[in-house]
Amino acid sequence: MDPMLTFLVILIGMYGLSTSKNIIKSVFSVTIIESGVILLFLNLGNWRGGSIPIINGAADIIADPLPQALMITTIVIGSTVTALALMLCIKVFHHYGTVEWREILRRGEGK
Amino acid sequence: MLHIPIFLIIIPVVSAIVIYIVKNKHVNYLALVAQAVMTVLAIVYFHHFYQDGAFQPQTFIIGLWDDVGIPIRTDGLSMSFVFLTLFSWWMVLLYTFNTKETDHDFVFFMLFLQGVFLGLLQTNDLFNMFVFVELTTIIVTILVAFNKTPKSFRAGLYYLLINTSGVLAFLIGIIFLYFTFGTINISVITAEMLAVAPTTAMRFTYVLLMAGISVKAALFPVFTWLPKAHGAARAGISALLSGLVVKGGLYLFIRINAMFAEAGYQYTDFFFVIGALTAIIGIVFAISQTDIKQMLAYSTVSQIGLIVVGLSSTDALVYSGGVLHIFNHALFKVLLFMAAGMLIKVYQTKYVTDMRGVMRSMPLLGIAMLFAMLSITGAPMFNGFISKSVIMYGFDTTDLRYWVLFVANIGTATLFVKMSQIFFGPKTFSLRFHNKLQDATLIVLSVMLIVFGNFYITIGQGFFGADFSDITLTLAKALEYIIILGVAYLLYRFLVRPDGQLVRRLRHFTLSFEVANYLFVTYLLVMMLYFVVWL
Repeated sequence: MDPMLTFLVILIGMYGLSTSKNIIKSVFSVTIIESGVILLFLNLGNWRGGSIPIINGAADIIADPLPQALMITTIVIGSTVTALALMLCIKVFHHYGTVEWREILRRGEGK
Repeated sequence: MLHIPIFLIIIPVVSAIVIYIVKNKHVNYLALVAQAVMTVLAIVYFHHFYQDGAFQPQTFIIGLWDDVGIPIRTDGLSMSFVFLTLFSWWMVLLYTFNTKETDHDFVFFMLFLQGVFLGLLQTNDLFNMFVFVELTTIIVTILVAFNKTPKSFRAGLYYLLINTSGVLAFLIGIIFLYFTFGTINISVITAEMLAVAPTTAMRFTYVLLMAGISVKAALFPVFTWLPKAHGAARAGISALLSGLVVKGGLYLFIRINAMFAEAGYQYTDFFFVIGALTAIIGIVFAISQTDIKQMLAYSTVSQIGLIVVGLSSTDALVYSGGVLHIFNHALFKVLLFMAAGMLIKVYQTKYVTDMRGVMRSMPLLGIAMLFAMLSITGAPMFNGFISKSVIMYGFDTTDLRYWVLFVANIGTATLFVKMSQIFFGPKTFSLRFHNKLQDATLIVLSVMLIVFGNFYITIGQGFFGADFSDITLTLAKALEYIIILGVAYLLYRFLVRPDGQLVRRLRHFTLSFEVANYLFVTYLLVMMLYFVVWL
């Protein structure tokens, strides 16, 4: 996969973030950007198509292990953020009865 | 001795977990014990490496294997931030201290946030920096939503999503740095920066990093999350967020610009404009508010603009004035938010228009607030005066930039003239504060304001290696302060107090989330045009 394609994924996420008026869609857009970033890092780390970074003397080209180690952390953080955001979405929906940003921000204290 | 920075990160996290698991009546005292141990350790560490009138930078690498590992580096700047962090957490822990059952969770998140924040200050590894920033975002979100009111959930969600998108931009920047340099060690990158600096890719990286930091530091087009989050949180949390956690973004600003120092990008003009816009727009919004916490939150935005103006100066003295203002602002903003929390509790309202007679009802609180207000408006003998004078020191009175800052100062004075109306009026409550700890925090912070306002030469040399001895109180400066107050009173009397349509419209102005993100993308594009195409 071309690293440039991952930029497309990031841009799609950014487009979604700056146009969608729905909280759930905003959460998804953040997740999409995050996926794009992870794919970008992994692709750049292994653009020559090497094998897994476990050295047993067989492979000539191996992938850079550092991006993989770092991206595991990013995935964990990303899932935490998504879980927290969705929890807050549920709470907001219970109090306001809607998941539209404009509606929520316009109202003072909710129902 | 070199292990102490790690203990500073681990002790709060471990004691937070113990408090969360044990959950009994006395375990909250563990927070104070942990805090005391950390303070002692930090002082011992600082004292041990303090030689020849300055703190000697120390590097410690965890998991050392052929010079590869997770580096931790402390220098004078990060140590001064560490002490500020410990001090602010002391104040907020004492202010909110309570052994009630429900407070265990609160103390857990508070201590955890401290550990993460201390990690952010001491790491020398870009990816760890990202992890700590993102962890700070997550914990702050939980703390903002801790009140469990609809408003706080909304503010927490807004905060979480916009900051995450900013931090992801920061992460893309880190990726480019890794594939350019083959390392994410900040010291190594700093040393090798000159060779690759002119390439377009490196400018692009700088823009991405700076865009992410701007969101964290709440600079002009992307500050909209700050008033929402800081207005919705509890008083103690707001104090911490405004006083310190926002400064995490400014700390990154300093670090990343230091990393790109060799590259010689002309960032000073751009960030001067951004900082000045932040200062003025923040204060205009602040004046229009009537909710005391919203007023203080917007004032934080404005003060951050002032700090960025100081930090984006080529003059070393003005630069250290910006750094000093970070500390001064932390002191008085923590004090103001704490006092605001007490007022809201006593008066059962958050609108300054409904609070009257504070000086007669609660003299101690009134005097502490008065001190903080004098400081933030830059009254002589208080700490705000010093850092504001240092920042203004670099500009002549004939310079347009001087007058931009002057306007921001008048705005700040107007805001606090408006807020000071709560002091006057008859005694409305015969109620006194019985919480001795909260009174004590107010007294300690007020004393610190005066200490920082009078012993700035020693403090400046000890921590920042800067010589502030040129900054003295002259008659002209005292006169200037009186003029500013006079203009501010007239503005308040004839523009703000009538509460015209313009003021009311500004008060209810709010940006929807997608518009805020749209602004973020626009900001990113403007920065790219400026740094990649223009320069």
